[in-house]
Amino acid sequence: MRKIGAARIGIGGPVGSGKTALVERLIPALHKRGVDLAVITNDLVTHEDAERLRRTNLLAPERILAVEAGACPHTVIREDPTLNMEAADSLDRDFPDLDLILIESGGDNLASTFSLDLVDYWLFVIDVAGGDDIPRKRGPGVIQSDLLVINKVDLAPYVGVTLAPMIREASAARAGRPVLCTNCRANEGIDAVADALCAAVLYQAA
Amino acid sequence: MDQPIVIEAIMGSQTDPTLAERLHDISHHGVVEVLFVEPADLPRRRFHSHTDRGTACFVSLPRATQLFDGAVLHLENDRAIILRVGQQNWLRLRPSDDGAMELGYLAGNLHWKVRFEEGCLMVALDRPVEEYRARLVDLQSAGKVSVVE
Ligand SMILES: Nc1nc2c(ncn2[C@@H]2O[C@H](COP(=O)(O)OP(=O)(O)OP(=O)(O)O)[C@@H](O)[C@H]2O)c(=O)[nH]1
Ligand SMILES: [Mg+2]
Repeated sequence: MRKIGAARIGIGGPVGSGKTALVERLIPALHKRGVDLAVITNDLVTHEDAERLRRTNLLAPERILAVEAGACPHTVIREDPTLNMEAADSLDRDFPDLDLILIESGGDNLASTFSLDLVDYWLFVIDVAGGDDIPRKRGPGVIQSDLLVINKVDLAPYVGVTLAPMIREASAARAGRPVLCTNCRANEGIDAVADALCAAVLYQAA
Repeated sequence: MDQPIVIEAIMGSQTDPTLAERLHDISHHGVVEVLFVEPADLPRRRFHSHTDRGTACFVSLPRATQLFDGAVLHLENDRAIILRVGQQNWLRLRPSDDGAMELGYLAGNLHWKVRFEEGCLMVALDRPVEEYRARLVDLQSAGKVSVVE
């Protein structure tokens, strides 16, 4: 198959919901599936998440790029995604066999969405500790994302959340579009996310 | 397992004279299949889908390429695949004389896709209409906007 550049997947969600933790878990899961991978992180004014990913040694450091989002993390993934597009283009140039680029947005609020000019598919990561009423609040990120990930399910008993109704409400708010649960701390639920990403944007037998 | 048909380029529009002729021929001795895409998904360039005849397709277009209604995606001797965009529904809103600015502000703030038509604001419905109506309740009850449909 002719190469036309890697597929691009956005990972958005509120501050601290576990976006970088999910990326750290997805890298080995995607490698296991034979996916040639690179990552772009967005932080406000630092390269914190990129540095953290480099320290894990999961990926060669030159496969991890940082974009500084400035004051408005959603602007660089929606209104003007040029910086992220340029970063992704440069990864495509440097790694001609690249299959997939994960783009982690800076932590934002429930309204952040990705432009389809930037990504082919995007997921939104919320966490159980943020409260089980988050799906009911119907933020655009929760509603419009291609995949909703509810992370930190291990914390449910400590924050008084019952998972089943939270998942039900999330599915209802999303009119049945996919919702997956993860515990990034214990590496649970990651394979289902990796499978969903591959099925959505990579070539594979139907 | 069926291998999906890989679509990496748009051959042209079904209205291009030469393509129109090919499609006409194929429709006689073969089949012209339709790949439906929702208006909200039209900016996508890489996705899996099925035609109306159940043929699996993997669309994987260059980033500079843009899908459009009537795009010819695939041509072979007895089969063609063309793209059809599902109907875009609109909500027609008429602001009162002192409501136009507030309605404009609301639509911009919510990132609604809009068009202007004969003094009305047309909102493209990418999600269920109730979600849009719910945001209009306050302006409506203040008499600043009416939903024309
Ligand atoms: N218990 C538990 N903690 C988690 C889980 N996933 C992430 N964390 C912790 O949550 C904190 C935030 O995780 P990050 O991965 O940095 O979150 P983020 O969404 O990337 O944060 P920003 O990029 O700053 O918005 C860290 O202390 C993680 O160790 C989980 O599944 N369970
Ligand atoms: Mg992070």
